[in-house]
Amino acid sequence: MKNVMVRTENLTKRYKNTLAVDKLCMEIEEGEIFGFVGANGAGKTTTMRIIAGLLAPTSGRVFVDGIDISKKPLQVKKQIGYMPDFFGVYDDLKVTEYLHFYAAMQGIDKKRTNTLVDSLLELVRLTHKKDAYVDTLSRGMKQRLCLARSLIHDPKFLILDEPASGLDPRARVEMKEILMELATMGKTILISSHILHELSQICTSIGIIDSGKLIACGSVREISEKMSHSGKLKIKVLSDEEEAVKVLLEIPEIKAVSTASGIIDVDVAGRDDTYAEILKTLVEKGIKVVSFQPQESSLESVFMQLTEGGNGNDN
Amino acid sequence: MIINPILQKDLKTKLRGWRSTILICCYVTLLAGILFLFFAGNGMLNPVSLQSFNPRMAINAYNILITFQFALLFIAVPAITAVSISSERERQTLDLMLVTATPARTIILGKIMVSIAHTMLLLVASLPVIGIVFFFGGIGIADIAKLLLFYLLTAFYVASCGVFFSTIFKRNITSIIITYIFLGLVTFGPFLGFIIYVLIKERMLGIGFNPVYRDFVKWLFPSPVFGYVSFYFGSYGGYGGYIVGIGDIQRQIEMLLAAETGIWKYMHPWIVNGLFSIISSIALIFFSTLALNPVKRKL
Ligand SMILES: Nc1ncnc2c1ncn2[C@@H]1O[C@H](COP(=O)(O)OP(=O)(O)OP(=O)(O)O)[C@@H](O)[C@H]1O
Ligand SMILES: [Mg+2]
Repeated sequence: MKNVMVRTENLTKRYKNTLAVDKLCMEIEEGEIFGFVGANGAGKTTTMRIIAGLLAPTSGRVFVDGIDISKKPLQVKKQIGYMPDFFGVYDDLKVTEYLHFYAAMQGIDKKRTNTLVDSLLELVRLTHKKDAYVDTLSRGMKQRLCLARSLIHDPKFLILDEPASGLDPRARVEMKEILMELATMGKTILISSHILHELSQICTSIGIIDSGKLIACGSVREISEKMSHSGKLKIKVLSDEEEAVKVLLEIPEIKAVSTASGIIDVDVAGRDDTYAEILKTLVEKGIKVVSFQPQESSLESVFMQLTEGGNGNDN
Repeated sequence: MIINPILQKDLKTKLRGWRSTILICCYVTLLAGILFLFFAGNGMLNPVSLQSFNPRMAINAYNILITFQFALLFIAVPAITAVSISSERERQTLDLMLVTATPARTIILGKIMVSIAHTMLLLVASLPVIGIVFFFGGIGIADIAKLLLFYLLTAFYVASCGVFFSTIFKRNITSIIITYIFLGLVTFGPFLGFIIYVLIKERMLGIGFNPVYRDFVKWLFPSPVFGYVSFYFGSYGGYGGYIVGIGDIQRQIEMLLAAETGIWKYMHPWIVNGLFSIISSIALIFFSTLALNPVKRKL
């Protein structure tokens, strides 16, 4: 069995009048690249900041490699590399000095730092900019430098908040290659984006977050399969509601039925074919159907929304 | 011992190139210029009057220099520390520090050390100029050592205030304004309070105020100017002459102090205020650390 790298238990963060994260439970196994997808304001950054130990949750707990971050924050921080969705650079430092500074902040032995910085710059393909001042780098370079910074203490677990935002297609490919390289080094990665398509290519699993709730979790295939195998119907009948419910409950594909103010809500295991069968059965049993509406589940609508933005043009 | 990474980075970047060297040269030249003008103004550079050299002049020159440095300390240290944390926040580098293995306390201490280091640099750079006064006589090495110690304690306190406000206020400008206002109140407020106290007492008793040393201490201990008074003309008096203003107060206080008994006998104004500085700095650092810590521990 694989080791669980990160686990959140009922993680909740409330700002004055917004519930940014709502009882979020998730698990990321060691070695996974976990994609965290959600629209703007869904709560991705908030969740990641809590896991990185930068924000105290209103309630709930986070365990990294089995350790509760509120109990031993410094010990956990040694395991985590965090790259926020902004750069944060000093204008009077050179690229190597920048990395040396964070190496010192991480308490890394001075003698080791030189070789470490060289190898990291190579990994993020910035060796040629070694002696440049940080604020003269291009956006993509800064982003890669920040990635190098988050790797300086060789953390097991990386939290990357929209690492590809604002990059051109070539830089995106480059970033993707670097991430794949990190994955082969055995790092566990939590990466966020509001574009599902972008993550589906590199992630081993995906979590979809909407209004602070994790509404689906699994591999991209699992999630789309789950959607194609379940649906919801809203049925209205002229009279004889009880009879209709009885008929519906006899159909094997139907998982649950409930009625509220004259409308029958039906959970179905299946899609269009099954819907047609259900309608046929109702009509055959002499039930007068007034309306018969397949419903989009919230997962489905969010999924569509995230997939639509699939071809770049974010931010 | 590992050097605080924040101090290390600051020294590396600030002392890079010629900028800081030029600044220090300007500063020393300024001090020397003040001294020169003072001596020239008193006709002491005139070869004729040099024969009738008045050691009191050297003491006065010393007073002017240390007053200038004291004022400079109150301007420069807050300028560095009042933006220390808030500028990291504005530059979005604060989070990057807080996710490292460096605890919040070390970050706060690093910021304080940076300002102390700069103060030390300026003080040490000024020693040759003070040395000129020293050469004329009247002031001992022990006096200068005590003065440096007091200035360091004061710098520590002022720096802690700056860092504290920089931590609790999100924006640089708010932090700067609040820090200067606070320091102004701490420095001059106690004197104002003391004057009001004396006036009320005189009004009520209908007689002249007859103070004891502890009356002064009771009111003035938070003000760094109270501590600084110890060094103005110092207790190495005896040169006579007319002393007005701070020198007068200094004399009075030292006289009252001499009349004290027990442990109070040793509680010179600079020691009283120095102790206050240490204790409040520690408290301020504690609260700054608490405020900076992102995940506040539930007790
Ligand atoms: N400091 C704050 N104070 C008040 N509300 C906040 C704060 N930070 C975030 N929020 C709110 O919390 C919600 C979640 O924000 P969050 O930044 O986590 O979203 P996100 O998924 O990262 O969005 P994006 O894709 O735009 O980065 C939003 O409604 C936001 O307005
Ligand atoms: Mg975000």
